[in-house]
Amino acid sequence: MRRVAVIGVGVTKFGKHERTCAELFAEAAADAIQDAGVSPRAIQALYYGNVVGGEGDRQLHMGPLAASVLGIPTIPTTRFETACATSHAAFRHAVMEIAAGVSDVVLVGGAERVLNLPTDAATEYFAYASDATFEQPAGITFPGVFALVARAHMAKYGTTEEQMAHVAVKNHRHGALNPKAQFQKEITLEQVMKSAKVADPLKLYDCCPFTDGGAAVVIVSEEVARRSRKPVWILGSAAASDSMFLHEKKDLSRVLATERAAQAAYRQAGRGPQDVDVVELHDCFTIAEIVATEGLGFFEPGTGGIAAEKGWTGLGGKLPVNPSGGLKAKGHPIGATGAAQVAEIVTQLRREAGPRQVDGAKVGLVHTLGGNTATVLVSLLSSE
Amino acid sequence: MSKVVTLKAFFEEARAGRLTGIRCGRCGEIAIPPKEFCPACQERAWEPVPLDGHGTIASFTVIRVPPRGRAEEAPYAVAVVKLNEGVSLLGRILDIPLDALKVGMPVRFRPLLREEQTVVAFGPP
Repeated sequence: MRRVAVIGVGVTKFGKHERTCAELFAEAAADAIQDAGVSPRAIQALYYGNVVGGEGDRQLHMGPLAASVLGIPTIPTTRFETACATSHAAFRHAVMEIAAGVSDVVLVGGAERVLNLPTDAATEYFAYASDATFEQPAGITFPGVFALVARAHMAKYGTTEEQMAHVAVKNHRHGALNPKAQFQKEITLEQVMKSAKVADPLKLYDCCPFTDGGAAVVIVSEEVARRSRKPVWILGSAAASDSMFLHEKKDLSRVLATERAAQAAYRQAGRGPQDVDVVELHDCFTIAEIVATEGLGFFEPGTGGIAAEKGWTGLGGKLPVNPSGGLKAKGHPIGATGAAQVAEIVTQLRREAGPRQVDGAKVGLVHTLGGNTATVLVSLLSSE
Repeated sequence: MSKVVTLKAFFEEARAGRLTGIRCGRCGEIAIPPKEFCPACQERAWEPVPLDGHGTIASFTVIRVPPRGRAEEAPYAVAVVKLNEGVSLLGRILDIPLDALKVGMPVRFRPLLREEQTVVAFGPP
């Protein structure tokens, strides 16, 4: 298989926008293409991610729409949907297209727009990524799914609500350093603990926000990468699934798909968790960050909460996690999130992250989780 | 020869108060339908098996921000219940005070009927 590199990244400001998904994606994609230093004409395929555009915008057939708005309407396009892991899944497939020798320059990304919808409608559409036969009729929501994970983790390991709150405080501290973040302000532990209950034991500040935004990256073959500025190499990119049914999860305190995807990505890369310098992971809820740091092999099962409390995952700590502010503070435009996480790691590995730069970062890991813990993608990237 | 339990059949039985599982004719694994291959041994030899509906709460949450159309029901509890037969099932909690819920608490299946829809639910044993 051929080596593959990221040579350009683009991310819109995250927050509320008065533009369509295709417009948001196209802005990020144009930035990524210009960052890559290639002509738009050089792009050979588009892998596009969006989740709820069919429900929220009554818009399907989004791939050619995105390419049309970008201004390169004749390339092959495919739309991906794996709930919140959508554009990371698109990324993995685009990597395979280049690794297999089918193309040399591929554009990957996604966009989401939900802040124009009433909160209860957005909550309903997001819940469509849970099973529609058992779980939606019972009234489950996404905070509800992760509340079930949190309760199981608390019962098994003694993880506390305060430990979860530390994740939110840390990610807001990081987000305050990111000019693209939806929330660029610090919060206190007390604010998190006193925030309104959403799905016990999760409170408002344990939850990422609804977000509009777009993100894109340009990935290329080694031959093209050698001619470009600061290529970042993809060492591994793996996906794994777990049962879609919450009633079939073997252990609600773990995300088995994270463990499987991480093992596969580490194997591809010939690296292990000890080699990782910086991480962007899927903190859709504070408990999700704690469980992910365990599943990715950074901390022993049951100790992710302690790591958060002790500050090991903050900038300047043992292993900085979510220097961008994560989904919690940077925001979570679900179809764009995976590509935005890759863009942050590329920015870190190029040493271009400004005040949120992780010193000396050479190997970065991206972890994106889809829906009710049924889809996970993990990629490893390196500046060398 | 595998005997398929469709979702329609599962919920028709559930509406009448009966929970139906399936047992693998090769390895004895019990699952909640619908399923074609046994995830444990990959055999395709299911037999329907009645589940007694008793179990304990494995995890639960109280939903306070509900999806569209559920505002009048909130707050309400949803739990994953580990049934005595070893399989789990997710459902709504009924007739148990929200602040009394605990992991490990015994509960018993009963259907929640909402017009044409049947929802899996659990109440006091």
